[in-house]
Amino acid sequence: MKTGVWLHGDSLSKRDPALRKHPGGGSVFVFDRPFLEKAGLSFKRIFFLYECAVEVAEEMRMGETVEEVVEWMREQGLGRLAVTESPSPRWRETVERLRQKVEVEVVPAEELVEVPEGYRVKRFTPFWKDLGREWV
Amino acid sequence: MIVQKFTGSREEQARGLAKRMVGMYCEKIEEARESAYVGGRKAGLEALEGFRVQGYADTRNKLNGNVSRLSFYVRHGVLGIREVAESVRERFGKSYDAAKFWQELGWRQFWRHLYGLWGDGIYEDREAAKVLLGSGAEEELPAEIAEGRTGLVCMDETVRELVGTGYIHNHARMWFASFVVHFQKLGWRAGERFFYRHLLDGDPASNALSWQWVASTFSHRAYLFNQENIQENGGKEWCARCTAKCPFDATYPELERRLFSK
Repeated sequence: MKTGVWLHGDSLSKRDPALRKHPGGGSVFVFDRPFLEKAGLSFKRIFFLYECAVEVAEEMRMGETVEEVVEWMREQGLGRLAVTESPSPRWRETVERLRQKVEVEVVPAEELVEVPEGYRVKRFTPFWKDLGREWV
Repeated sequence: MIVQKFTGSREEQARGLAKRMVGMYCEKIEEARESAYVGGRKAGLEALEGFRVQGYADTRNKLNGNVSRLSFYVRHGVLGIREVAESVRERFGKSYDAAKFWQELGWRQFWRHLYGLWGDGIYEDREAAKVLLGSGAEEELPAEIAEGRTGLVCMDETVRELVGTGYIHNHARMWFASFVVHFQKLGWRAGERFFYRHLLDGDPASNALSWQWVASTFSHRAYLFNQENIQENGGKEWCARCTAKCPFDATYPELERRLFSK
């Protein structure tokens, strides 16, 4: 069963970890109409995203993300979806809704340093002292 | 609904996309234009290869300093954050400049970490303010600020560059944020929205928490600047053209007294 990749705004190139793991199943980027109508971003931002997406995504769509991704998977005959992880609450909510309809694999994002589970600090200085040793 | 790939020059492609996406951006359609900064991995890799880290640490606070302008590529995963750090290590080795550059990438990772923990809590004051702030009730910046019509050349030119290109230097971001929050006593959320709307590297956590850092709701003290700081890091050209009574022409103790006394 082929795995398609949903590319989103945090991970919009062939460097995308989900795409590197599943290079053969195709990829889609969605301009999320409800979000964009509400956010009122500048056109420059949207065109920048377009220029990133047009280089890498096999298909670009516009509409409600879950509906568009599921429709794209149906059209392409894809059984599974992979996506790179994001800390965004909107991303988490979208993945939860996708999981109600299709099988979703979340691939870890590329990180500069590994942050241990449960690690908590409120300021950058201790964060970098604890975790940035490779980069000093 | 499929979005086709537009053909032609960047300008023609932008025109095609602007027509296709009416209602989904903040400008009027006739004002919708592409940025001078080009999106995509090919452009990102060219920018990365063109970046030399030498001098970064000592000049990065100057508007004409050796900054990378890679933030919008890293923000959107066009370049991997580790890929950028490793490229600098492979080409230039470890150095004072490289360590400072990696530390700035570390900030991005820090914001991301906090975003994972706090989610939309990044939009709430993380701590009690350390100084007197405005009510924070404004949804948007006043038009004269957002349209660059305050008469203060340094602030108006900052807005023009932001709106015109989608990018401004980090120090200009700090000055503008401090102007909005401390000199104008407007809420950081209104400024945060304005930046998020226009910055090509606009990232929810980096943006919101940096505004809170300036405001002192996510830092030990408020960030202030004065005219001397602008001239030292941005040159004297703005001041030479400015005819306004400068609110920034004061020492820090004077500004603190004027702005933070209850």
